[in-house]
Amino acid sequence: MTIAAPQETPVTAVADAAPAALKVGIPKEIFAGERRVAATPETAKKLQKLGFEVLVETQAGAGASFTDSAYEAAGCAIVADAASLWEAADVVLKVRSPQHHPTLDRHEATLLRPDQTLVSFIWPAQNPELLEQLAGQGGTVLAMDSVPRISRAQKLDALSSMANIGGYRAVIEAASRFGRCFTGQITAAGKMPPAKVMVIGVGVAGLAAIGAAKSLGAIVKAFDTRLVVKEQVQSLGAEFLELHFEEDGSGEGGYAKVMSPAFIAAEMALFAQQAKDVDIIITTALIPGKKAPLLITQEMVESMKPGSVVVDLAAEQGGNCEVTQPGEVIDYNGVTIIGLTDLPSRMASQASQLYGNNLVHLLSDLGGAEKFGIDMEDQVIRATTVIHNGQVTWPPPKIEAPAPAPSPSSAAPIAEATAPAPKPWYSQLLWPVLIGLACVAIGLWAPASFMTHLTVFVLASFLGWKVIWDVSPSLHTPLMSVTNAISGIIIIGGMLQISGNIASPMTILGAIALFLGTVNIAGGFMVSQRMLNMFHK
Amino acid sequence: MTNNLVTTAYIVASALFILSLAGLSQPETAKRGNLLGILGMAIAFAATAAISQGYPVQIGSIGLGVLIGVLAASRVAMTDMPEMVALLNSFVGLAAVLVGFAEYLQPSAALSGGDVIVHRVEIYIGVFIGIVTFTGSMIAVAKLRGWVPSRAVLLPARHVLTLGMLGAIAALGFPFLTATGDVPMIALGAMTAIAGIFGIVIVMAIGGADMAVVISLLNSYSGLASAAAGFMLNNDLLIITGALVGSSGAILSYIMCKGMNRSFINVVLGGFGETASGAAKTAIEGSATSTNTGEVIDLLDSAQSVVIVPGYGMAVAQAQHAVAEITRLLRSQGKQVRFGIHPVAGRMPGHMNVLLAEANVPYDIVLEMDEINDDLPSTDLVLVIGANDTVNPSAKYDPGSPIAGMPVMEVWEASTVVVLKRGMSSGYAGVENPLFFNENTLMLFGDAKTNVNGILAQLSTTNAPATALAAA
Repeated sequence: MTIAAPQETPVTAVADAAPAALKVGIPKEIFAGERRVAATPETAKKLQKLGFEVLVETQAGAGASFTDSAYEAAGCAIVADAASLWEAADVVLKVRSPQHHPTLDRHEATLLRPDQTLVSFIWPAQNPELLEQLAGQGGTVLAMDSVPRISRAQKLDALSSMANIGGYRAVIEAASRFGRCFTGQITAAGKMPPAKVMVIGVGVAGLAAIGAAKSLGAIVKAFDTRLVVKEQVQSLGAEFLELHFEEDGSGEGGYAKVMSPAFIAAEMALFAQQAKDVDIIITTALIPGKKAPLLITQEMVESMKPGSVVVDLAAEQGGNCEVTQPGEVIDYNGVTIIGLTDLPSRMASQASQLYGNNLVHLLSDLGGAEKFGIDMEDQVIRATTVIHNGQVTWPPPKIEAPAPAPSPSSAAPIAEATAPAPKPWYSQLLWPVLIGLACVAIGLWAPASFMTHLTVFVLASFLGWKVIWDVSPSLHTPLMSVTNAISGIIIIGGMLQISGNIASPMTILGAIALFLGTVNIAGGFMVSQRMLNMFHK
Repeated sequence: MTNNLVTTAYIVASALFILSLAGLSQPETAKRGNLLGILGMAIAFAATAAISQGYPVQIGSIGLGVLIGVLAASRVAMTDMPEMVALLNSFVGLAAVLVGFAEYLQPSAALSGGDVIVHRVEIYIGVFIGIVTFTGSMIAVAKLRGWVPSRAVLLPARHVLTLGMLGAIAALGFPFLTATGDVPMIALGAMTAIAGIFGIVIVMAIGGADMAVVISLLNSYSGLASAAAGFMLNNDLLIITGALVGSSGAILSYIMCKGMNRSFINVVLGGFGETASGAAKTAIEGSATSTNTGEVIDLLDSAQSVVIVPGYGMAVAQAQHAVAEITRLLRSQGKQVRFGIHPVAGRMPGHMNVLLAEANVPYDIVLEMDEINDDLPSTDLVLVIGANDTVNPSAKYDPGSPIAGMPVMEVWEASTVVVLKRGMSSGYAGVENPLFFNENTLMLFGDAKTNVNGILAQLSTTNAPATALAAA
């Protein structure tokens, strides 16, 4: 395990060490409609704590409601144009993968210098030419989409943080285009039935969608081929749709794998049946490196009630719904099909904040400003780095990733089942029999005076047992010091043994015992009183 | 003074002792309880003084004893209370040994026939309990002070050794009971020596957090030593008092053992290290997120309900005063701040409560584990200060864990948990703590006192009027 050591470099120190400080550049995103930005004023502050100087292109945060003056207040330098920003920065942080820059009229990739590091979404599998072009520039490129999905890398996992926002936004988009309320009510004007929502694919986005739909008041059902998510679905108050089929679809990295044809047939039958019933379908099913699986056919959409909504979060990867148009909202026979691919960008402020935090964690793992470097031995850094000093290092060698272990809070409390096995009858009888024998032996042989003392002892023990159980646990320490004091009663034994003859051994022994007992009495009572005086409301 | 009058005085003293312990049930009545105990002791002392002799020696012993007792009691730091209690236990043990020897040398009553044997058995048992209490308590003090290693020190073949010692002690009883002349005295001396070593070996084998059980147990023994002295001296007051103290220590030991979900025998016979290394340790996948005092301040600012879970680490770092001050500031902002105390937190029962009381934390916001566990899911922020095993979720969820089934503070149910800890080392039980790897857990590494003082400093500046903001 790695623990990010707290990097507490005071901000003032950065200013002093100005020539050495690495500069992080935040350009304005140029993808049409993209409103996110790779650092917010808040994450910029964290970057400065890591020892970086932060440069921000003017208006970079405008789409996400972060003004230039907010960045300046956070200690960032504002740079007038993209070209000079790329020139000045040692590390460039971006959201969207590099593309043709409209105002500079050159491809962003050509701005990358050999000694520069670019961190961004790259999608190397889908964009092999871009990867080639970037490698030709000789720099280093880290792809946020290639962060391995292991628990140690969770804080860097931008796919998850973006999916979370996408899932939430999907519900909001659906609700704004759905003609009824999500929550059910009986009002004076009549009954409002609750909306029924089906979520297919319970990953991060699916869970966020379930949570959002549930808190709007809808009845939510969810389906996933991976049975491990059942508990998570139920913990959000949604119903988990199950096929009675012996196959688990857990693949590596927390994704699902491709299922058998028989399973898919059963699954499709379930969707066809549900499509007639539900009002809103949100699909989030993705299989890594493959086209998104087709789950909602044209016939299913046709069978849906007019006014229903389908949100296809897999639109960019080909869509889970047959009629999805990526990037668009269409009306198909009265059913609204939302294929928007910019859902996180539609919550630009929050999405930028989360993405910015992912980047801060990544730069911290890269060693901060002082020890900045790419450690190719580190499993997470290795997988994220797609180009290292001009060398394409993608795809990374396969790593062993364990299946997602159930988190402690969701695991069943098995411990409660491990109650001790009932003891055999003879061991239960052991103590009563022994005590009985001891009583008989004492009764036969002990003298009368001993019996009186034993009576007193046993009764006093029971009385003590009853009295002490009432003592408040907060007073257990004073209880111990009071009992220390009263067990000093042994002084009366010493006192009775002291005689007028100072030289007799009995007197000496008695005097020492008296001394020790008195220390106990005085010390015990006094320290108890001291402690009890401290207790107040 | 007649014998009956003395006996009546003893009965009154016994009643006062019982009322004294009963008074400790509530903080409101505790002080009166302590005063009743002092009154009972004074009556018993006065009655005994009236029928005893050799006053110059008595006055000398008592004067010295009071002087030392008062000095120690007024100077001891509250963090050192476990040592103080253990030391006082050892005095009672030694006093019982001395009374036993003196009683053997000159029986207080003329005895004949079977009574002689019974009397000698009483002496033998009384001296045995007394010396084990004495040497065991001395080792406990040495361990708590760090004079000897506080971990469990296990001798090779110690079970054989302890059984051998017990056998020798039993065997020496025969010459003591039956022989005449100097032989019984030699047997008694030899038994005392062996039992002394026995006490040392037993307590050496117990380490760390189990010391709380040992101190309670020795407390119980010191009571039994008094009771045994009562048997040999024919004194019912000693027997009653000893029985009360004996039950008190036994109950505290029982509560401690239940708090760790371990049997009494398991604690006394084996160090925790043994069982933990035998069990396969589950490696925990994931990373701990570290934080800084600034973020903790932000969390404290936004939290409405805060629960603080202190452990022995807080006592070691002496951070209780700063923690109390933070509590006061947060409460003045109208936030709900409470403390959750695990039964085995600290090195003796109720240790944390005393430390917090010393730091002026009102006792009505210091709650027991059972009282606060149900409220934790609705708590915004939990600060865990120097506690580890008592907040370990694997006790509840991992049946293979060495601490499975131990009741723990369910801090992970809260929205956010901040753990103040020196490093990632595991706790006393040697068990990894998955809590540290949870997504809602933040780790604040470093010395607890430095960090708590850092939080306090920033908290008091943000509370001060706007000048502080301008400076920031």
